[in-house]
Amino acid sequence: MAHPPRHSAMLSLSNSGSSANSDKQQPPQQIQHIANTGLRVPSNRKTIYDRHLNRSRNAEISRSSFAFLFGEMVTYAQRRVTGIQDLEKRLNEQGYPMGLRLLDLLYYRTITSSTSSSLASSSTSTAPPNRPLRILPLLHLIHGPLWRLLFNRPADALEHSVSPDTPNEYMITDNDPLVNAYVSVPKEMHMLNCAAFVAGIIEGVCDGCGFEAKVTAHNQPTELWPGRTIFLVRFGESVMEREKVLERAGIK
Amino acid sequence: MTVFSLIIINKAGGLVYQREFQPGLRKLSTNDYLVLAGTFHGVHAITRSITPKLPLSTASTAATTPTSSNMPPTPGIPNSFTPGSAFTFPNPGTPATGLECLETDKFRLTCFQTLTGTKFLLFTDPIMGNIDVVMKKVYELYADYVMKNPFYQLEMPVRCEAFDRHLGGWLRGRT
Amino acid sequence: MSATKASRIGEELWKTRIDKVNAELVTLTYGTIVAQLCQDYDSNYQEVNKQLDKMGYNIGMRLIEDFLAKSGVGRCSNFRETADMIAKVGFKIFLNISPTVTNWTSDNNQFSLVFDENPLADFVELPDDGRAQDELWFSNILCGVLRGALEMVQMQVDAHFVSDVLRGDDATEMRVSLVRYIEDEMPPEEE
Repeated sequence: MAHPPRHSAMLSLSNSGSSANSDKQQPPQQIQHIANTGLRVPSNRKTIYDRHLNRSRNAEISRSSFAFLFGEMVTYAQRRVTGIQDLEKRLNEQGYPMGLRLLDLLYYRTITSSTSSSLASSSTSTAPPNRPLRILPLLHLIHGPLWRLLFNRPADALEHSVSPDTPNEYMITDNDPLVNAYVSVPKEMHMLNCAAFVAGIIEGVCDGCGFEAKVTAHNQPTELWPGRTIFLVRFGESVMEREKVLERAGIK
Repeated sequence: MTVFSLIIINKAGGLVYQREFQPGLRKLSTNDYLVLAGTFHGVHAITRSITPKLPLSTASTAATTPTSSNMPPTPGIPNSFTPGSAFTFPNPGTPATGLECLETDKFRLTCFQTLTGTKFLLFTDPIMGNIDVVMKKVYELYADYVMKNPFYQLEMPVRCEAFDRHLGGWLRGRT
Repeated sequence: MSATKASRIGEELWKTRIDKVNAELVTLTYGTIVAQLCQDYDSNYQEVNKQLDKMGYNIGMRLIEDFLAKSGVGRCSNFRETADMIAKVGFKIFLNISPTVTNWTSDNNQFSLVFDENPLADFVELPDDGRAQDELWFSNILCGVLRGALEMVQMQVDAHFVSDVLRGDDATEMRVSLVRYIEDEMPPEEE
């Protein structure tokens, strides 16, 4: 809702993740929904509407497959760019729609798991989504559940800028980003960090939640963690202003 | 447990990687390494070509390798693939290997050629055993940190920091 | 090697030798790649198919080393064995699926892989634009992977999808044909 032009970029293929989106209520009858589209379906009706959204929740695939796909994404992005910044921007743009989709999936899973115990009798559609209103809950959602969904572990650190000039800056640290596990950046491109893709995912999650932000990935190697990466999250002014209003209103 | 050095030769016989791990051998110039790689590649090809081929009947019934002993003979398959030849080489059937080992008083040179044609050459202490374990690990690290690196171009010199780091780390851990 | 033996090897490797990630990460990443291509090529699906195949080919040429290094298997003695190796070991260790090998031609040069599961296409519905279901092969990258990987072990193959549940077909099926064994590396045959 924050950036219509960027949202529209993800519409070329529809993902079932979007069915959890609040502005797009699913019709009560799945059959009707399918009939409304011009798409053919298999006679055994093996469509996304007939499969549980959680069926792949704990499924696993080889890490190699991800590495090869990600590598090809980087190679493809490289064909169409002029420099390192351009390449990082491109990778960021690839991650962004994934962030929007993952956000829906995260909501869906937090809602269904919390209502199953407390609101067993009422319909899940009436339960308010567990949407973060303030910056910190949003960042915790990213640092914890999002990272676990993507990488099977939480991020390694979450910090707020100590500089009074940049209260809108937050840092999420990953000591050893999965996406860079097999990547060796050539010396002449040493500023490049391919985790710009993950920065794009974070940006998609922030924007999808209504927190306009710019996210970038930076190399911060240590001896123990040569691939250590800081994701710098910079929230827009409107977000910071709203944050003050909400703070005064006592909303957490 | 001494691994002196490793070199990798691409499919065309070009040297794409050379690294020393432990002292013990005298240094070679870069040019000498290039000559070594090219010469070895040529000699290897010749040793392969003088290795007798397996007759077709043997290849399909005697199930050449231990892993394929369960294979039932499948009549009529292999013939269609080997143009004008009663022998099966290199496909289908057991591959002919070339030179695998060279030895001097001071070192042993072991060659492992992958099915894709890349060669890994390890220089080790002649008394060192279990070279195949080291070789297997080197191949796995190559598959991980060279093949999965989007900035590596196939058949070109290997300049992958993560490959150097993991290879060095693993060998150090073994000594 | 029999198909059952290949299955055992695949299962064992998957359990003991394979580092894993969340399947949804792979699914969504692949979906992102396809969506990006559809956008970059202005929904020219023929071109998207071609690009996916090309990407797969690049992957296949690299992935074969990973396959050989992890599995330690030797050369197959015929194309039937190759088919089982692809379906029961290759697909198993990379995507945790085992498509069925079927529909052999009598010369044993062509077979089909039938996919019950396809993690690349989980969550996917093709665009409802009246064309995608007739033109786009969503998982076309897999054809390129097979082509690239087999070329590196001296087999030239043709691989293409003939049906896909995403198009409304009842099964997802890929046809694989052996074109020839590549022997250029070897000295000429003596007569």
